Amino acid sequence: MTGVIDGGWDYIYACYLTSWVFVVGYAGSLWIRSREER
Amino acid sequence: MPVDWEVPLGVVSLLLLAVGNYIGLFVAPGEKFMADVGRIIYSHVPVAIIGMLVFLAVGGFAFGYLTTSKRGWDSAMEAACEVGVMEGILTLLTGAIFGRPTWGVWWTWDPRLTSAAVMTMSFVGVLMLRGIVRDPDRRATWSAVAGILASVNVPVTYMSVNWWASLHQPQSIGTTGSMIDPSMQWILTFNMLAFLFVTVWFIAARYRIAERRAEAEMPEPLPEVAT
Repeated sequence: MTGVIDGGWDYIYACYLTSWVFVVGYAGSLWIRSREER
Repeated sequence: MPVDWEVPLGVVSLLLLAVGNYIGLFVAPGEKFMADVGRIIYSHVPVAIIGMLVFLAVGGFAFGYLTTSKRGWDSAMEAACEVGVMEGILTLLTGAIFGRPTWGVWWTWDPRLTSAAVMTMSFVGVLMLRGIVRDPDRRATWSAVAGILASVNVPVTYMSVNWWASLHQPQSIGTTGSMIDPSMQWILTFNMLAFLFVTVWFIAARYRIAERRAEAEMPEPLPEVAT
């Protein structure tokens, strides 16, 4: 036991991937709604 | 059609975020105790802080509408509210992913987590209110009042780690300076600026949609009477 967290890359990638899914998904929804409102 | 600067702003924002995330993932040093898991900071913290700023802006836009009754304030409030809710939900999700390897749980009824969830849900309520009120003037007034009430949650959420015993760490950046090592601080600042760009882009694009919908709701002009 060193008190330091070992590994955890699955969580790291999951966090960044979740962020990008939200950012790209929301950008896509804005693009679609923008076309609909035209 | 998007205004001239909207597409370039979007491209630059996404590029900045991609570069910032790459640095956070592969260039940043490991944190002293969390080691590599500490890299989640560069994704989670910018979303959380910018999201809270957006919720504060909702209160400001709502106040602007109540004092001027100008439609632009209402559209800005609608735009910021939706973007803030998206970022609030993302904060809760990335926080849960951060919590599992560091605290051992996805979720706990900790003051910071609970207040952040209440804050986000209160703005979901503002959006729901906007969805059920058909009259544009009433919708704008009622949701402005609700938006101001909801924005009271922002300082409560921000200060929750100081006011109550919390599993969540207290603020690392305060009025006396930053407790973050300079080798990590610049990367966090870079990612925060990148996410701020993304947020401004989102609000601008959503504002344009809100304005167009508001224009469509305007009553038809009365026909001219021949004299």
